[in-house]
Amino acid sequence: MRPESIAWERAAEVRAAADGWRRAGAIDPQTHDAIRRAYPDPCVTPSAVWRVLTAVMVTIVVLCAFGALAVTTRPREPGFTVLLWLFAAACVVATEYMEASPRLARRGAAGAASACGIVLFLAGLGVFLHAVLAIRDDAAFNALLLASALTWAAGAWRWGSPPFAGLSAASLFVLLARLPLGRVVWVIVGSALVGLATPRLDDGALAPSHRRAATVVLLAGIAAVYVALNVYSLDQGALESLRRFAPPRAPSTAAFAVAAVATAVLPVVILLWAWRSRRTVLFGAGIVLLALSLATLRYYVHVAPLWAVLSVSGTALIALALAGERALRRAPGGERAGFTLDALYSDERQQQLLQVVPVVGTLTPGPVAPASAEKGFAPGGGASGGGGASGRF
Amino acid sequence: MNPDVVAAIGRLTSEHVLSSEQAARFHRVARRHLVSVRIEVRALLYMGVLLLTSGVGLFVVEHHKDIGRWAIATSLAFAAAACLVWVVRSAPPFAWSEVESPSVAFDYILLLGLLLFASDLAYVEAQFTVLGPRWVHHLLVVGIVYVLAAYRWDSRVVLGLAVGTLAAWRGVSVSLIARSLGTPDAGALRANAVVLGVLYVVAAFLSVRLDRKAHFEDVFGNAGLLLLLSGLASGVMSEFDWELWLVALLVVAGAVIWISFRFRRSMYFAEGVLAAYVGLVRLVFAPFADAMTGTPLLLAALLGVAALVLVFVAHKRMSAR
Repeated sequence: MRPESIAWERAAEVRAAADGWRRAGAIDPQTHDAIRRAYPDPCVTPSAVWRVLTAVMVTIVVLCAFGALAVTTRPREPGFTVLLWLFAAACVVATEYMEASPRLARRGAAGAASACGIVLFLAGLGVFLHAVLAIRDDAAFNALLLASALTWAAGAWRWGSPPFAGLSAASLFVLLARLPLGRVVWVIVGSALVGLATPRLDDGALAPSHRRAATVVLLAGIAAVYVALNVYSLDQGALESLRRFAPPRAPSTAAFAVAAVATAVLPVVILLWAWRSRRTVLFGAGIVLLALSLATLRYYVHVAPLWAVLSVSGTALIALALAGERALRRAPGGERAGFTLDALYSDERQQQLLQVVPVVGTLTPGPVAPASAEKGFAPGGGASGGGGASGRF
Repeated sequence: MNPDVVAAIGRLTSEHVLSSEQAARFHRVARRHLVSVRIEVRALLYMGVLLLTSGVGLFVVEHHKDIGRWAIATSLAFAAAACLVWVVRSAPPFAWSEVESPSVAFDYILLLGLLLFASDLAYVEAQFTVLGPRWVHHLLVVGIVYVLAAYRWDSRVVLGLAVGTLAAWRGVSVSLIARSLGTPDAGALRANAVVLGVLYVVAAFLSVRLDRKAHFEDVFGNAGLLLLLSGLASGVMSEFDWELWLVALLVVAGAVIWISFRFRRSMYFAEGVLAAYVGLVRLVFAPFADAMTGTPLLLAALLGVAALVLVFVAHKRMSAR
């Protein structure tokens, strides 16, 4: 990243923290202004809505312009490759220009242009390897995955984009899964990434967006290790299916036993780590892995009918949340072991609005189909228990 | 830990911008010695409600013949009542202004109680046909109960559910707009979407204008515009009379852009811009339906540039105001 961009980002971090302090009433307006003067940030930073809108429109402009030129010129494969790379280069140049400008750096346009640039470059590389150089499918795909991992990583480093780090890690792991002993390699490389990323999460020498990229890499590493060790993934040969000509092979009893133990232990280890380090992102990861492990357990051991498992686990989660809330509310100062229910300077109003989306998305009943009125009523619990009309009794 | 904020707190304290008490508190948070788990507790509650209501739904489907209709209906009613009694006992008094939830769990226990109530109502209607041929209106009853509950207990989550349920009653799914409007009966659904959308937008306007739960505006407003603009856009994408739908879409989208610009509502502005863009793209592609040419794509790109200019100018002026 450019040194100026890093300085702007650091100032933005402090100003965002100061905004939270002011919102919570922990500092007065004069102090807030003094902090903003002490940490000037020349960048125009619109809200997420503006940034997403800008990114969508930039993507549409780039793809439509490329499509217009491609349809008009109708080049053959080499020409098509050149066209893709020309557009990729133009996107990269535009990104560099926007990143250097405080007026444009954080509007969403630079992020969209850089993503388009990398996608177009990789598409051009794919056409070049497959159609121009006529490299066989497997080798071309491996080369493309390697290029993808490197290009997204370079993009993450240069422009400080955490999603690019995630795409780089995803490309790398798909590539590694295609190697012999890919599962073992996933565990080794995943663990290595966790080890590399962890000390960088709080490294003040890194730019804030690089620290966020390190968080994404950490999560990717944890996910890779879990997938490689999960007993269902081993049993179904999920990673081996990514290899070409991989012979279907049942796992040995010992491997199955090791995977079963790892499936049970890994979520607990992550949750303990989250507890000790007080990293909420690890809590999220641990809860997701725990849910996956419980689903895996249900797949192999039919402890109870599905409705009972769902009801009991739902009740347990609610009880756990209520117990946690009660414990924290009753603790002196509303905190226990460094945890609190206080919003702690975050934007509570935004969070409340965001929590509406998953509820409406998953718990709203299905629409009443006009034709069904003639067939008779079939009420039910909605697609996910929403008390609607999509189920059948 | 956020090292930039930690360093800044040190500097601001030494420059006497922050007091030592303020610095100590901020320092704990920035160094992650004090961490909020509010979002995590909410996520657990949401997942719990989702799993529990799904489990109850499955149970009823699989066992309603073994257990008996009355037993199931009564059990669901008791479970719903238990949740709602807890809500009634813990709820603060009603007010037309925003009322803070007494706890993080409050919204979700309310949600669980209402979902169980809705399941019970649907089950009773299926088994005892209380509404007879008017059974489709059971979702209207559920939607109205959700609205009343949302206002009484000041819950945007429940209001979102109410908005979705009332849309479902009219055959439109808010979360699956495209699929809903892709059915053979798209004309009627489109009309329902437009009418409901207008009603929700009016509700958003009145919430603010009359200062009655003004913070519900964004739920009503976004759902209303999503329904209204999607309904009109689906008309633009249809084969018949699309020109009329296009005029309607452009007029409405233009009005949305202008009003949201005046009242500084960025989300509505974005929805208006995207809807207008979709309509105009249909217009530029229409003359080239049978031709293999890059002209419409070029025009779509130029329209995108114009939209970007509009976005930049609007943001600058909104920020200046």
